[in-house]
Amino acid sequence: MQNKGLLLSFDQLVTGYEFPMTSYTLDLSIISKYLMAVGLQSAEFVPPLAIAAYAMSALSKSLVLPAGTIHASQELEFFQPVPMGATIYCQGRVAQKLSRGKLNLLTIELSALNQAKEKVLSGKATLVLQN
Amino acid sequence: MPILDQELSLSEIRQGVNLPPVIKNITQKEINLYAEASGDFNPIHIDEAFAAKTPLGGTIAHGMLILAYVSEMMTKAFGQKWISTGKMAIRFKAPARPKDIITIGGIINSIEHRGDTPYAACNVEAHNQNGEIVVTGETMVKL
Repeated sequence: MQNKGLLLSFDQLVTGYEFPMTSYTLDLSIISKYLMAVGLQSAEFVPPLAIAAYAMSALSKSLVLPAGTIHASQELEFFQPVPMGATIYCQGRVAQKLSRGKLNLLTIELSALNQAKEKVLSGKATLVLQN
Repeated sequence: MPILDQELSLSEIRQGVNLPPVIKNITQKEINLYAEASGDFNPIHIDEAFAAKTPLGGTIAHGMLILAYVSEMMTKAFGQKWISTGKMAIRFKAPARPKDIITIGGIINSIEHRGDTPYAACNVEAHNQNGEIVVTGETMVKL
């Protein structure tokens, strides 16, 4: 995965911050590993949740997330099937930051594009970070 | 209500039809496999000693792993329509833990039309062996 950005903590992030674009290639070995992990025998196309998982993983490489960070909610929308071997470009943006007592909430919008720069997936993840 | 056991044709998809359930046994081994596959090595998922000291009291499955199971159910019901046009909004209500048996289920809540295009709107949820809701949410797919 390519990532040329800085590592940012929750405190350093501001609403509207755009993460550096990252890319990853969904080759057969990566997808085989993913299919085994989710208990699927095979797939004609890349499972959309694999695209989302790798997009989240790519974006999180720009972040210093405290150990114990968990998911509160997730929205996803899929726009077209993605063939095995595709290279995906991933964009992310801080949509919201909230602090509630000992908890911080971080909402990140993400979108994944194919080689033709067509959107294949978009979504929004809300994470709960221990303060 | 009838339960789908394979991808159905347009005429077979109607309000009140249950989606084919997906049942998964959660194990630490599978959680570790998912961490390896996704690159998410947050210790809350894989480090039992660390997780035991947190308010969660032990390791938990990745939320995206549970969503993969929701997507598996939707793919079984709607095939390529799901991976081409699907939409989900999911809230995580409780953690899925090693040794949990997680059942993913759903029901077609309505058939909505946007212009001439029909969409199936579904309610989905995952619960554990004790009936505790793990995730709940809505999905939509263009028919």
